[in-house]
Amino acid sequence: MNESNQSPLPDGDAAPDAADDFFLPDFCNVRMVFAVVVIAEMLAIVLTLAPLERAANRWEDLSIISLFIQWVALISSAVLCLARSWLRKLSDTAAATASYLLLLTTTSLISEATYWAAHWLFLGPNLPQGWHTDFLISNIGICAIVSAIVLRYFYIQHQYTRNLEAKSQARIQALQSRIRPHFLFNSLNTIASLTTTQPELAEEATIDLADLFRGTLANASYEVQLKQEWNLARRYLHIEKLRLGQRLQVEWAVDMVPMDALIPQLTIQPLVENAIYHGIEHIPEGGTITIAGTIENGAKKENRLITITITNPVPGYTPPKERASNKMAQENIRMRLAAYYGAKGKLLAKKVDAMYELTLQFPYITARK
Amino acid sequence: MKILIADDEPLARSRLRRIIEDMGHHDIVGEATNGKEVLVQSGELKPDLILLDIRMPQMDGLEAALHLSNLDNPPAIIFTTAFSEHALAAFGSHAVDYVLKPIRRERLEQAIQKARKVNRAQLVELGQNDETDHSRTHISAQISGNIRLVPIEDIFYFQAEQKYTTVRYTDGEVLIDESLKSLEEEFGDRFVRIHRNALVAKAYMDALEKLPSGQWVVKLRGLNGALEVSRRHMTGIRKLLKQLSS
Repeated sequence: MNESNQSPLPDGDAAPDAADDFFLPDFCNVRMVFAVVVIAEMLAIVLTLAPLERAANRWEDLSIISLFIQWVALISSAVLCLARSWLRKLSDTAAATASYLLLLTTTSLISEATYWAAHWLFLGPNLPQGWHTDFLISNIGICAIVSAIVLRYFYIQHQYTRNLEAKSQARIQALQSRIRPHFLFNSLNTIASLTTTQPELAEEATIDLADLFRGTLANASYEVQLKQEWNLARRYLHIEKLRLGQRLQVEWAVDMVPMDALIPQLTIQPLVENAIYHGIEHIPEGGTITIAGTIENGAKKENRLITITITNPVPGYTPPKERASNKMAQENIRMRLAAYYGAKGKLLAKKVDAMYELTLQFPYITARK
Repeated sequence: MKILIADDEPLARSRLRRIIEDMGHHDIVGEATNGKEVLVQSGELKPDLILLDIRMPQMDGLEAALHLSNLDNPPAIIFTTAFSEHALAAFGSHAVDYVLKPIRRERLEQAIQKARKVNRAQLVELGQNDETDHSRTHISAQISGNIRLVPIEDIFYFQAEQKYTTVRYTDGEVLIDESLKSLEEEFGDRFVRIHRNALVAKAYMDALEKLPSGQWVVKLRGLNGALEVSRRHMTGIRKLLKQLSS
């Protein structure tokens, strides 16, 4: 009957720190232990009230049941508390199975110990025939059902808070993913240089820059059509092309991808910006950035995955800095994809020879309810 | 004044050129597009002043300036930069002159007027203040007034002599006057101390051997002979070799 130790407490107690990304709460926490005691007692009361026949002495029943359940509850808490650091290394499924088995084992052992203690200490052979098996089976049965429910509860609770966090993170991250100041000032420098020599180009660049900023400043936390993201990326590349000249070549192969697919805003442009900032800019002779897209075949639209790959050459040497910022932009986009599409939204990075390849994957969705 | 312009963006260079030509009484002797070119050109053209962009491919402006400062008579340097939070804060506090892009004509004039030589200490501190990992990509040595660059990945080991440090690399040897201690601090992820007087590239370490005399030595790939390992560093080296081979 150890199920009582799973306190269904709201997040505050269940998750002592936000960074702790594990669905089992920390049972070493004092507040958690208190909750366990309270809930164990509530279960004891329920079990005392449950029997159909009129009990001779309810208070006495309650005290015995309480005593037993509190033992089971507290020992189970202790076991989960000790095992937690080990459990959290496992996958969610493995951790759930392992803690379920731990709870069952603890309950059986305590039941067994209780039976023998009772047998040797006071009741001895007075215990009715078959009571041993009954006692064991009913305890394990109750434990099996309640543990399953409670573990499931923890899991869903955890998913829920994680999802909430991801959504609000996504909003913040979207704000942070705006264009680098470095790019702004370099672009202005380019424009300053063009104004006297090639005013038409300067004009174009100014308008591109304006569009780019309009795109990034408006509602930074929504999904937009892929078409819009392409446009943003094209405007961006147009400006960079002026700045880097022959060093920057771009190949597009995105005809296959449906333009009405939804994608979190500012997903493509920051990745293209990274490809230049960490790739092309560090190579004296420059190189080619390839942006390619495909969509899976399939009957149902939502089941089809869209894949976009962005490839850029990397310098043969390691540039001294900025690796951290690259990771940050990727992490930012990865989190936003997860917030919108769950496990179906992915961003994978890999380096093959002198090429860096980013793969972006998300389901084909055209409208949100 | 003889001026060298260094920036990897053609439009940025042409704007600088125009501004300087408008000022008159200055002579633009050349244009470089990365740090390495800066070093080559400043050796050939002997400019009095370099307008040096910070973010450039292959070797950035800060590192180029650091190598230049090894010269007996280095050119004056004005850094040009679009935006770099850390660098900006560092510049202000180290009296190194810099101008922000897009560059204002009067600001550049003012900077050129008081252009000064930057010393090594300032640059080193600038690099350290930059918060990001900023170890050099090359070691430089001055050979008859010119700069010889040695890529870090070509270096087998550094060995301290009495006054100088020998740098042994794939194409030979050069002498520098940097201490092993500062080299170890800067390149600690690539090199390991095996003796009071030697710092060895992890990437070239091949095997640990015991001589008949009982002395342990390290063999390096692509290099004849071996280097002594002191007893103090034995455990560390053993562990490292095990890690490398696994």
